[in-house]
Amino acid sequence: MTEFRFSNSTAQIEGELVPVIECALAQGDAIYFEHHVMLWKDEQTPLAAMNTAGGVKRSLGGMPHVLSIAHGPGRVAFSRDAPGELVVLPLHPGMEVDVREHAFLVANHTIAYSFVRIKGLVNILHGGGGMYVDRFVTEGAPGLLVLHGNGNVFERMLGPGEKILVEPGGFLYKDASVTMNAVQQNIKTGLLRHGIYLAEMTGPGRVGIQSMYVHHHSD
Amino acid sequence: MTVSTYVCRYCRQHSDPAASSCPRCGAPIDVRDMVSRSGWEQQPAIRDMARIQFGQSHLQIEGSQVPVADFALAGDEWIYFSHHVLLWADATARLSNSSLAGGWNRMLAGMPLIMMEARGPGHVALSDNHAGDVIALPLESGQEMWVREHRFLAATGNINYQWEQSTVWFVTGSGNERETHYPLGMYGDRFVAAGSAGLLLLHSPGDTFVRDLGPGETILVQPSALVYRDLNVQTHLHIEYPRAQPFQWRTSFSMRNVWLRLIGPGRVAVQSVFTRPENAEPITGYSYATRQSW
Repeated sequence: MTEFRFSNSTAQIEGELVPVIECALAQGDAIYFEHHVMLWKDEQTPLAAMNTAGGVKRSLGGMPHVLSIAHGPGRVAFSRDAPGELVVLPLHPGMEVDVREHAFLVANHTIAYSFVRIKGLVNILHGGGGMYVDRFVTEGAPGLLVLHGNGNVFERMLGPGEKILVEPGGFLYKDASVTMNAVQQNIKTGLLRHGIYLAEMTGPGRVGIQSMYVHHHSD
Repeated sequence: MTVSTYVCRYCRQHSDPAASSCPRCGAPIDVRDMVSRSGWEQQPAIRDMARIQFGQSHLQIEGSQVPVADFALAGDEWIYFSHHVLLWADATARLSNSSLAGGWNRMLAGMPLIMMEARGPGHVALSDNHAGDVIALPLESGQEMWVREHRFLAATGNINYQWEQSTVWFVTGSGNERETHYPLGMYGDRFVAAGSAGLLLLHSPGDTFVRDLGPGETILVQPSALVYRDLNVQTHLHIEYPRAQPFQWRTSFSMRNVWLRLIGPGRVAVQSVFTRPENAEPITGYSYATRQSW
């Protein structure tokens, strides 16, 4: 039942296993989300569709290309479908955060949403994050971004040039200043096998990882 | 003998305020009431090793992620359950089966055809295979409860089980492409305590939230998130079309939401894990529904 504010609205986190976020929107505030993550809503809360750029490309990437936007006043609640944690990221103006696909739960309307194609075939094939990452940018006003991480979520702050190797499926979010590359480790896992790939994250900035993921086999 | 005036806020039965958990439903007593500002109350997980009494028998809830209900059946007391939730049983427990009416229809709906019965003396342990809560609902004599299909874990022998076809459905496509959808499940389970008080156990994936709707109060929930409801609570479809943006190339039906509209008075419970709505096709027919186009 942790409660926090964004703009003139409030949100509460409820539950521990598969937590729910319940937003009470004030007049003039809005939040956007993938429409299938709504658990319940007040009847009077208006909904609209919000287009995102690059619809066909996003379809090919298996990502939703139309988001829903709910306007205040009213209440809406959201949850995903796996045991895990909600990560609440307040974003100050000028901040940019990259998020693994399908981890985004809800954001308020002061945050601009786009997506970035992961560069390099090796990174796409072995990076474990799919073809795109979602990018959230605040411009003039602060905003609130909420993610769902599977299992437990841990964050580490990397200094400039500091590197960390992450199981690709464990990557959840990072500051845009952190670069991510798939690197092959010279660890043979069987006859005729190549080494395993890990995601090399290079600072400066924050990196968030999740403890439950689909393991990416070595090839 | 003094009768306690304390009423458990989760099972609504007279309970023992001095215990650490309610002896009727296992809900912890010494925890703060967790009610969101909108009125949803989080059902606290039954603590590991909490004990629930029914008749001369009792059960213990073991574990916290995927909890196990470990029944210690006394004398000739018995419970029934679906065979796929049986985890282990003492050799002394007498296991048998009973068939259900309407087997063909139940098979088509993916529901169990046979209920297993376990009679004491002996232990029988049951669990579902999802991380979540076990919910114990003690039912007073004559009390009824509607439960969504596949949420039932076990019931004591004196609780009657009926099932009824869902009145909530919609149709997509036409001709050979016609498909009927049952967002609440094809059948609903209905339990009534006949003659004496009994115990109904449910399993709810994820976290569980309970709310008391006032007379005429409404709320929209994902149909597959509903766990149980009082029979007083009315339900029907609510189809909602978000407002489209100018020049939006997607058609309006692809963004529609199919909600279950609950109308009080009565108690309802939802789980935080639910089935994601399928890719949308135009709806060509539906059971009674309200509509909203923003």
